[in-house]
Amino acid sequence: MSTTMAKAADLQRLELLQGTLDMLILRTLQWGPQHGHGIGQAIRAQSDDLLKVETGSLYPALHRLEKRGWLKSEWGLSDANQRAKYYRLTAAGKAQLLRERDRWSQLVHAIGRIMNPAPAREE
Amino acid sequence: MRPDERDLDEEIGGHLALAIKERIDRGEDPRAARLGALEEFGYVGAIHDSMRRVWYGRWYDAAEALARDIRFALRSLVRAKGLTSTVVVTLALGIGANAAIFSVVRSVLLRPLVNRDADRLIYIRQTAQGIGTENLTFSMPEINDLKSRVRTIAAFGDFSTVDFTLIGFGREPRVVTAGVVNGSFFEVMGLRPVLGRLLSPADDGPGAAGAAVLTHRFWTAVLDRDPTVIGRTIRLGPGTATVVGVLEPSVPYPAETQIIANVVTSPHHLGATMVTDRRHRMTELFGRLAPGATLEAARAELISVHASMVREHPEAYSARAQVQLQVTTFPDQIASPARTVLLLLLAAAGVVFVIACSNVANLILARSVRREAELAVRAALGAGQGALRRTLLAESLVLCAAGAMLGLMLAEPLVTVAARYAARFSVRALEATVDSSVLWLGAGLALVASVLLAYVPRLPSSDRSVGLGLAGGSPRMTPGTNRRLRIFATTQIACSFVLLAGAGMLVATLNALQTANTGYDMRQVLAIDVPPSATGVGGAATLDFFQEATRRIGELPRVQGVAAGMVVPWRDPSSGLKFQFAFEGYQPADGEENPTCRFRPVSPRFFAVLGVPILAGRDFTDEDRNDTELVAIVSQSLAQRLFPNGDAVNRRLWFANGGKPRPRRIVGIVADVDDENVVQEPSLTVYDPLRQMGLPSRLFVRAAGDPYALVPSVTRTIRAISADQGVERPTTLEDVRAEVLTPERLNAFVFSAFGGIALLIAVVGVAGVLAFSVSARRREFGIRLAIGSTPSQLLTRVLEEGAVIVMAGITAGAVFGYVLARVASTYLGTARVPGVLPAVGAAAVLAGAAVIASLIPAARASRVDVLEALRSE
Repeated sequence: MSTTMAKAADLQRLELLQGTLDMLILRTLQWGPQHGHGIGQAIRAQSDDLLKVETGSLYPALHRLEKRGWLKSEWGLSDANQRAKYYRLTAAGKAQLLRERDRWSQLVHAIGRIMNPAPAREE
Repeated sequence: MRPDERDLDEEIGGHLALAIKERIDRGEDPRAARLGALEEFGYVGAIHDSMRRVWYGRWYDAAEALARDIRFALRSLVRAKGLTSTVVVTLALGIGANAAIFSVVRSVLLRPLVNRDADRLIYIRQTAQGIGTENLTFSMPEINDLKSRVRTIAAFGDFSTVDFTLIGFGREPRVVTAGVVNGSFFEVMGLRPVLGRLLSPADDGPGAAGAAVLTHRFWTAVLDRDPTVIGRTIRLGPGTATVVGVLEPSVPYPAETQIIANVVTSPHHLGATMVTDRRHRMTELFGRLAPGATLEAARAELISVHASMVREHPEAYSARAQVQLQVTTFPDQIASPARTVLLLLLAAAGVVFVIACSNVANLILARSVRREAELAVRAALGAGQGALRRTLLAESLVLCAAGAMLGLMLAEPLVTVAARYAARFSVRALEATVDSSVLWLGAGLALVASVLLAYVPRLPSSDRSVGLGLAGGSPRMTPGTNRRLRIFATTQIACSFVLLAGAGMLVATLNALQTANTGYDMRQVLAIDVPPSATGVGGAATLDFFQEATRRIGELPRVQGVAAGMVVPWRDPSSGLKFQFAFEGYQPADGEENPTCRFRPVSPRFFAVLGVPILAGRDFTDEDRNDTELVAIVSQSLAQRLFPNGDAVNRRLWFANGGKPRPRRIVGIVADVDDENVVQEPSLTVYDPLRQMGLPSRLFVRAAGDPYALVPSVTRTIRAISADQGVERPTTLEDVRAEVLTPERLNAFVFSAFGGIALLIAVVGVAGVLAFSVSARRREFGIRLAIGSTPSQLLTRVLEEGAVIVMAGITAGAVFGYVLARVASTYLGTARVPGVLPAVGAAAVLAGAAVIASLIPAARASRVDVLEALRSE
């Protein structure tokens, strides 16, 4: 009983593949500047609650991306009148997003061909 | 907290606030919303941690990896307790010795003096190489000449030492050593008072009031820092003086004095001899460079002025003496006697450190060979060369840090010992303390050692057949490792040999000094200082006082004889008691001068009391008085040198430079004694009766039984005649010699200690190498036994290996030591190549110790169980 419930929970929440968080952050920020909480919520909402970003990974990732020059941060006021740090995509960040997106589609394509090979369909 | 972190806290705060607000908007209770948001967020500290990694990147990774390695190293070292403690103690000895010696070197040679602008303060002295005098000091006419002619020196300060009986401060009369100085002395020295004032030019001249400054040490040690001493009147010898101030703590130079007083306190300084006699030298001279003048300019001017002075007064500077002027800065002057010995000590400490390091390197190397399998596994699992090296570095860091800590704890007591030792050469050594610079030195040495040690072992490389390392269960030695172990062991033996030979040389020297025949009866004669200044008057009264004291002490039980004189052998400076004499019937060869002889006024029975045989003629008697014929006794060397025909007795002699000759008839010849050198040299000595010339100040008492048992009764007897009379330093001649030899004994002791430590470490090293070599070759021994070797053959084989290491080490050490001594002697002048005997002795000790040390592993080799050894592979 309990195992099936745990299985159900596992199915509901997917582990992020290593290295994809950076891409998701960049992608989210394409819509405009956002603060850390907003980024997390956006990823969650757009994945239909399947992807949940841990804050323990989110903030180090944000700072890492900023250090590489793909993001820029500045303090601002949120809609709720709360002081928050807003992250914005830089030109280098946009270029990086394009690169990552290319890499990602190649990866998806490659993995797809392995998982669903042509002979398998003949079977 | 760094700005980055505060920023992060604020960002997290914003995040939480938004999350909470969102939950409340969704209809949650504020409390539950807050808890929920916090729970969802997770542990804030973890974010900080991962953030640091983002911020500091590579450094953070490296530090974390090192921390992990250090934890690992700690665990694995705790398991290897024997190795760990050996390494730590060895390193501690090496580092502690270096730290202690370094402290002393720093305080003596490197630390600035309290004197203002000490580099512009110079010390001037006259040398007379021709008569072997390094410091002739100056007479007042000489000083006045220099003062009036030299322009590059802004001011001169002069200082002479006088013993005064001090009565005052409500204490017993005591004899103090006082400096008598001119008014500009303190200004020239650049010293300040801690209380009251110092002396100024207003205190100069015979008309000034007596004024005295107390040294800080005297004020602290004797007067308990009593602030009310200022303004008190004290009796100094025949006169009085007012205490005007206390000097700041400073290097007591040129003499350790208790009091520094102005010229008027010393009648002698005002007398005609002092003021007008160019040869009456007893004053030391300091100068402060004039503004803009350099040391070179001052030296050049002083030397040229001095040269013209010598030309103008040929009577005061004999050509043979070669009187010359030397000018050094004050810091150099006070450091120079200690420099040689300190540099030698530093070198010895450095050698001990090298020995300690190579021994530790050996142990670590052996350990790493035992760990080869482990390292090979790690390499096979993907650990790179860097990671393996880091593991080793972490381990050696832990070991060296522990060694350094223990070493610095050792340094504290060692500094005290070393400072007391070095104080014999330079008073500044007493200032030595353990402080931060020593800690840095220790840390630096530990770091150097640990990096070196981490690069000693060979790593299992990926190219090599890793399988071999993985397969074997027992350690296996590669030729490379074996060679390194042997090189380290040889290094230790070589270094130990140098130290031991050096120590052996010092011990041999000391032994020669201590056992040399002096010509005196060393054990039964008590020498006592009975300073005449206390009696106040001098002349006839002093003579009567001594005559009476001699008579009464002679009547005490267990006293075999009493005599008076002016010089306690070796203890009293006697350079002033040396004059040129002319002898009837002796004509100096062309170009030679009349002989310079020691002049020693003594009482009757002096020779009998001190055990010096009279070889011809008679002793002085109480009938040799001022109003009878002037007589003298000469030493055997003098008689033989001047009168080779043996007809010295009844010849006449007189002072060659002393105005109208007053001839004395030689009435006796005594055996040679040398009261200036503990190793006797032929001495030309003229003795005269105290009653005819001289002022007694020393009593010699020959005792039956223990001489020191007589001290109380002798003191009582003297005080019964004169209550204020000082009775000081009663010592047998043997102990006087021992005291004079203290620096030599300390030298020998300290170097022997270093040699001993080195020997110990080196022997442990050799034994360790052999033990390891045996344990790594059990299989080989097993095979040898199986094919017919006898156990005793194996034993001999291992002993031979030890002997080879020792011989190679001793040979290397002998070459190295010889070169070192040659180099040292060109720089230091006084260093000597050790004689054959200490070197052979050191070699024998080392060889013996090493053979004994190799016996244990050798015995183990001979007891290898064939079957077990073969099966274990």
